[in-house]
Amino acid sequence: MVALTERGLRDFDWQTAVLAILISFFGVWQIHNAVPSESYWSKQIFGIVVAFIAFLVVAFTDYRRLIDAAPIFYAFGLLLLLLVLTPLGVEINGQKAWVRLPLVGQFQPSEFMKIPTVLMLAKYFGARKSGVLTLREALIGSTIFAGPLALIMLEPDAGQAITYFPILAAMFFLSGIKIRYVVIGTVLAAVMVPTAYIVGVKTGKIKRYQQERILAIIDPDKVDPRGYGYHTIQSVITVGKGGISGIKGDPETSQSVLKFLPEPQTDFIFAVTAENTGFIGCVSLLLAYALLLSRMIASARQASDRAGMLVIMSVVCGLAFQIFMNVGMALGFLPVIGVPLPLMSAGLSAILSTFVAIGFVVSVRMRRFVN
Amino acid sequence: MKIHDQVQNLGARVGAIQVIAFILLALLGARLYYLQVVNGEYYSDRAENQRIRLIPIPAPRGAIFDRKGRILVDSRPIYNVVISNDGLKHASAADKASDYASGLKLEPQFVTERLSVLKKQNEFESLVLKENATIEDIAWVEAHSLEFPELRVELQPQRNYPLGTTLAHVLGYVGEISPKQLESDTYKDKGFRPGDIIGKGGLEQYYDEYLRGRPGYKKVIVDSRGRVQSELETVPPQSGQDLVTTIDLDLQLTAEDQLAKSVTKRGVVVAMDPNTGEILAMASAPSFDPNIFVKGASTPEGRKQIAEYWKDETRPLLNRAIQGRYPPGSTWKIPESVGALQEGAITVAHSNVLCGGGITIGNKHTRCMGNHGSPPLDIAITRSCDGYYYRLGLKMGIEGIIKMVETFGFDKRSGIDLPNEKVPQTPKTWMKYVIKHEGKWSDIRTVYASIGQDTVVVTPISMLRAVSSVGMRGKEYIPHFLKEFKPIAAVGEEGDPNYIPARPGFTFQHPEPTLIELQPAQWDLVLKGMWGVVNAGGTAGSIRIPGFDIAGKTGTAQVAEVGKDTGKNKDHSWFVSFAPAYKPEMSVIALIENSGFGAANAAPAVKAMYESYLSRRDGAPPATQEVAAR
Repeated sequence: MVALTERGLRDFDWQTAVLAILISFFGVWQIHNAVPSESYWSKQIFGIVVAFIAFLVVAFTDYRRLIDAAPIFYAFGLLLLLLVLTPLGVEINGQKAWVRLPLVGQFQPSEFMKIPTVLMLAKYFGARKSGVLTLREALIGSTIFAGPLALIMLEPDAGQAITYFPILAAMFFLSGIKIRYVVIGTVLAAVMVPTAYIVGVKTGKIKRYQQERILAIIDPDKVDPRGYGYHTIQSVITVGKGGISGIKGDPETSQSVLKFLPEPQTDFIFAVTAENTGFIGCVSLLLAYALLLSRMIASARQASDRAGMLVIMSVVCGLAFQIFMNVGMALGFLPVIGVPLPLMSAGLSAILSTFVAIGFVVSVRMRRFVN
Repeated sequence: MKIHDQVQNLGARVGAIQVIAFILLALLGARLYYLQVVNGEYYSDRAENQRIRLIPIPAPRGAIFDRKGRILVDSRPIYNVVISNDGLKHASAADKASDYASGLKLEPQFVTERLSVLKKQNEFESLVLKENATIEDIAWVEAHSLEFPELRVELQPQRNYPLGTTLAHVLGYVGEISPKQLESDTYKDKGFRPGDIIGKGGLEQYYDEYLRGRPGYKKVIVDSRGRVQSELETVPPQSGQDLVTTIDLDLQLTAEDQLAKSVTKRGVVVAMDPNTGEILAMASAPSFDPNIFVKGASTPEGRKQIAEYWKDETRPLLNRAIQGRYPPGSTWKIPESVGALQEGAITVAHSNVLCGGGITIGNKHTRCMGNHGSPPLDIAITRSCDGYYYRLGLKMGIEGIIKMVETFGFDKRSGIDLPNEKVPQTPKTWMKYVIKHEGKWSDIRTVYASIGQDTVVVTPISMLRAVSSVGMRGKEYIPHFLKEFKPIAAVGEEGDPNYIPARPGFTFQHPEPTLIELQPAQWDLVLKGMWGVVNAGGTAGSIRIPGFDIAGKTGTAQVAEVGKDTGKNKDHSWFVSFAPAYKPEMSVIALIENSGFGAANAAPAVKAMYESYLSRRDGAPPATQEVAAR
C-alpha cells in the first residue's frame, strides 16, 4: 500500500473520486424521491461511506499485488457463489441470488464476483506477449469466465449473468482478437438473437411472460398494460411525465409514491430521476457518466502495464453496458431485466462492488509512472 | 497509449470502445428527448388519468308527500358494496365473479350480469354490486382490500316506501336504468350512464326529471391498486325536488280498505276534486310492494318475488285505474244522455223514449231489466232503463255516439300525470275494422254500444273525468296528482365551474277546462236523473247519505253472455258519482271486478269514500291517527 504521502495524495485521482461521489449522492436524493417514507436513502448513505472507504483502501493498494493474488479471490468468490445454492442462500422472487452470513449480513455474491473475474482474466491476459489472440488463449479465458457464469445461471439470475459478458468481450478485444472475428461475432449475434427468440417462442422455451416483456417494447399499445408489459409502460409514462425540468408541485402524487412505478429505488431509479429532474437532470446524469468513463479510458491509455489497462477497460465496458441496459430498460426500448444502474440504484452490494471496481481504476492510474 | 503493440493496434481499439460508449449514451439522450421533450405532455396526462378518479356521490331523490304533508316516499342511507371498473377492463373478470359471489353471498349469475354492465361503462366508473350490505359483507370487503382493491363500501341513499303496497301504482318505484332504456329516445343524449337510478312507473317515472337530483363527485388521488390516497375536491350533490301530491292519504286508505273488503278484492276506487281535477285517492287492487323492486332486485328472493308479480294472473302490477279497460255498462248512459241532448235526439220537453221491455233487431231480442213504459230521460237514468237507451242509441245513430265520444274525450288519454295510460276503445276505434270485416255497421252494434257493451271499453279514469264534468255542468278538467314541487337551493357559488343552479318550485299549471256545451235546463234534467239514482228510489238508493246528496250512476258490465255470467265471468260492478249533487266537492268512481250488480258492490265502496271525506270535512278527527303521526 502506498503511504499517504504528499506524492500519494498528489497522484490520487481526485476527478474520478469526486465524480463517483457526486453521482452516488445524486442517487441518494433520487432514492429518497422514489420512496420518501422508507429509509432506503439513509441506508444508501451508509453504503456509500463503507464503499468509499473500501475504494480508498483499494486505490492506495498496488493493484499488481492484488492481481497476483487473483486466484485466491477468484476461488473465494466461487465459494460464495456456491454458498448461494446451499440453504444459506436467500430466495427472493424465485431467485436465489443472495446469501446470508453471520456478522456480514445479507449480500449478493454475483455482484462482487465480477472483480475477481476481472482480476483473474487480467492476470492471464496481462501476462501474454504481443500478437494476435490465439484460440488456446481464448479457450482458457472462456474457461475462467465460465465458472462464475455457470453458477450465476444456476441461481438463476440472467440479468447479472449478462453483465459479465462485456468483461470477457473487453479482454478479447484488447488482447488482439482479429477484427474479422469481431465482425463475424457481431453479425452472428444480430442474426442469432432474433432467431433464438423465434425458435424459443415456437418451442415454448421462452415463457409467456418473457414474450410479453419483449412485445411491450416492440408494440407497447398492444400488450396488456396490467400484465407483463406493466413495468415498461409505467416506466415510460414516468420518464415522459418528467418533461423538461421535472415534476413541479406535490411530490406525494409521483408515480413511485403512488406505486405505479415498480421497484423505483432499484431497477427503475432512472425513471424516478427522470420524473423528478426532467430532461435537464437526466442529460446531466448521462454527461456525468460520460465524463467518468472518459476519465477512466484516459487512465487506461496511461496504464503502465497491460494487466492494469485490461482491468480499467473491462470496468469501463462493464459500467457502460450496465448503464445502457438499465437506462434503455427505463426508457422502454430494452426488455426488463434486473440490472442495477451503477452508483445510482439502492443496494449495498452494488454500490460497494462499483466503488471497489473504480478503486482499481484509480490504483492503476496512481501507478502510471511506476515501472 | 503507453503500452504499444503494433499488431494489436491497442490505441485504436480503446478509442473504438470509447466511441461506442458515447454513441450508446447519445442514443439514450435522443430517446429521452423524444419521451420527455416531445411527448412530455402526453405522458403527463396519462399519469394524471391513472392517478385521478372521480367518485360519484349519488344525490338523494326528492321525497313525495300527500296534500297534508305526510310522507309517502323518502330515501334512507344504506351501505352498498360498489365495484369500480378500472383493473377489470383487462383482467379476466370471470375469474373474480365466483370470488365475489361467495364472499358477498350473491348469485354467480347475478354477479356475471353486473360485471357485463360494468364493462360497458366508461373507464373508472363504478357500479353497485350489492345493496344493503351487511356487517359481514363490509368486513369481507375490508379484509380483501388487497386482493380486490376494486371493491369499496359506500353510504348511499336508497328509495324507501314506508307505506308498502299503499298507493304503489301511483308512486311507482325506482330502479337501475336498463340497457334498452339507455338506447331509447327518452333517455338517449341526456347523459345517463349504466347504473343510474331512474323512476320506473308512476309518479317516480313521470316526474323523474324533477325528483332526481344532480350527483356530486369526489375527486381523489389513488395509488396503483386504486386505493384512495387523498381527496382533491368534493362537489356536493344537489338533492331532487320534493313533490307534494294532491293525494289525501286518509281517503286513499279508505279506498284501499274498501277494495280489500270487496268480494273479489280486485278493482279500482278513484276520488277526484271535480273543481280542479286533483286526484284525492287512486286505489287499484291487487297491489304490490315497490320496496321489493328497490331492495330485492339484487337478491334471489327479491327477484323471485318480482317474477311472481309478473306471472300473477290477477296482474298486481297493473294500475287498473288508468290501464284497465272495462265495458262501462250503464255508467255509459250519462255521457250518452248528454250527447243525445247536445245533438237534439231528445229535448228537455220531449225526452220520453219507449222502453218496450227490450228491443228486437232482426230475429234477436235484447231485453231490458224491467218494463218502464215510455219514461223521460231522468227516470231512464234513475231506473237505468236499457230499452230507453237501445232506442235512444238508434235515434242518435252510431255517428251521434261517436260524436259524444269525441265530446267527452273518450278517444284520447285523460292527460293524467302518470305514464302508460291506456286510451279507451269505442265505436270510433272499431268502425273501420267492423266495416272491413262485416261490410257495414249493424244496428245491433249500435244498440250494444248505447249501453256501454261490445265495442266500448273505457278506463275508470276516463269515466270519472267524463262524469265529473257533468257534475261541473260541462267543465272537464285534466286529472292530476301534482300539487307542488318545492324549490331547491343552488349548489356552490355562481361562476364556479361546479355550480349547479337552483331549481325553482312550481305548481300544476291548470289548462283551461274543456267545455261541453248544454243548456242549463238540459243539465238539470241529467243531474236530476243522477240525483234520483241515490235519492229518489233509483238503483242505488241503499247508499243515500242524509244531508249530503250523492248523484251517481250504477253499472253492471257484462263480461260474458247471459247464462255464463258466473264465477270469474261474473259482471263488473261500477258506480260513478259526485256529491253534493248540485255543487260537487268530490267525485268518486268504484269498480269491483266480477262481483255482480253495481248497486250491490261498487256503490257501498263509494259511500264509504264520502263518509270518510265528510268525517274530516266536518271537523271529525282523522281516522288514521297512526299514519298521520309519521
